[in-house]
Amino acid sequence: MKILILASFLVVLVLFIFATQVPVDITSDKVSGAVSEAISQSEVPVDEEVVEQAVISSIEILEKAQRTRLKYLAAAYIVIWLVFMLYVLRLGQQQQALDKRLAQLEDTSVTVASNQ
Amino acid sequence: MGNLSTKIIAAITAILIFISLYLIFGYARTEGTMLEVQKIFYYHVSAALTVFVAFGVNCVFSIKYLIQRRPNDDLLAVAAAELGVIFCTVALLSGPIWARYAWNTWWNWEARLTSTLVLWLMYIGYFILRSALEGDKRGVYSAVLGIIAYLDVPIVYYAVDIWQGGLHPDRGTKWSLEATMRYTWMVALLALIMLFTFLLIIRYRMKKTEARYERLQQKYLEETSG
Repeated sequence: MKILILASFLVVLVLFIFATQVPVDITSDKVSGAVSEAISQSEVPVDEEVVEQAVISSIEILEKAQRTRLKYLAAAYIVIWLVFMLYVLRLGQQQQALDKRLAQLEDTSVTVASNQ
Repeated sequence: MGNLSTKIIAAITAILIFISLYLIFGYARTEGTMLEVQKIFYYHVSAALTVFVAFGVNCVFSIKYLIQRRPNDDLLAVAAAELGVIFCTVALLSGPIWARYAWNTWWNWEARLTSTLVLWLMYIGYFILRSALEGDKRGVYSAVLGIIAYLDVPIVYYAVDIWQGGLHPDRGTKWSLEATMRYTWMVALLALIMLFTFLLIIRYRMKKTEARYERLQQKYLEETSG
């Protein structure tokens, strides 16, 4: 059971890392290219540098917000799995202690019986 | 319940947990308002509903114990209560993380949160009471407290209807979710209920072994002193 819980905890982390990662492949070059293309299609005259800076800033803001959300998500699932893991570990310890006490009782009763 | 059945339940639980995690992170659509943070919902709400099941089992076997006085019913009731507290802890700890993002606060004394905390505290009291008593008194008094504590479960469930204007969404919200989200939540709920079932079997067996040990020790002490 301990292995199961540990494995699922690792799966949470792996799935979290791979599945929630939005492929961020918007590089500065791509932004420049897209801004230039949009401006060339626009009929209104605009300052390309200003627009490019605004787009880059927007992307940074969005990425920062996403990082914050992912931190909350990771924290919640880590807490959930931590509670289950600690509980299962405690169960394991209790079981070991119980087995030990049972063995001791068995040994004592065998010794007493042989003395009698 | 035999070892094979337990192993089958363990295997089903493991498979369901893995599937639910895949569905949460790889299949369910990301909700539009809270985006990724909404994915906390799947295990948070499922844990909260599993609490109702766990305390329900405790209530049923507490009543059964009071009627029939079978020690095993008491042991099963205790095992269920212990797991109820664990799942309630999960719900109470994961909720504030979500709340911090959604409501901009870790905790709010609104009806559902407060009644859930009261429920958790009542079952903590249940264990304190058990540790303070011995013999038949322990079983009877804790069974009565278990039944009384269960009265808080409908209050928790209907809190959003009774005290309107709280921060928690309506009870029916989870059923009106978009299809991929709804299926994912249902699998997550099933996974946690199976996890509860599996842990309940394990804990009940341990409780029975503990009880057997206590009986053997008592018998041994009586024999050696006599």
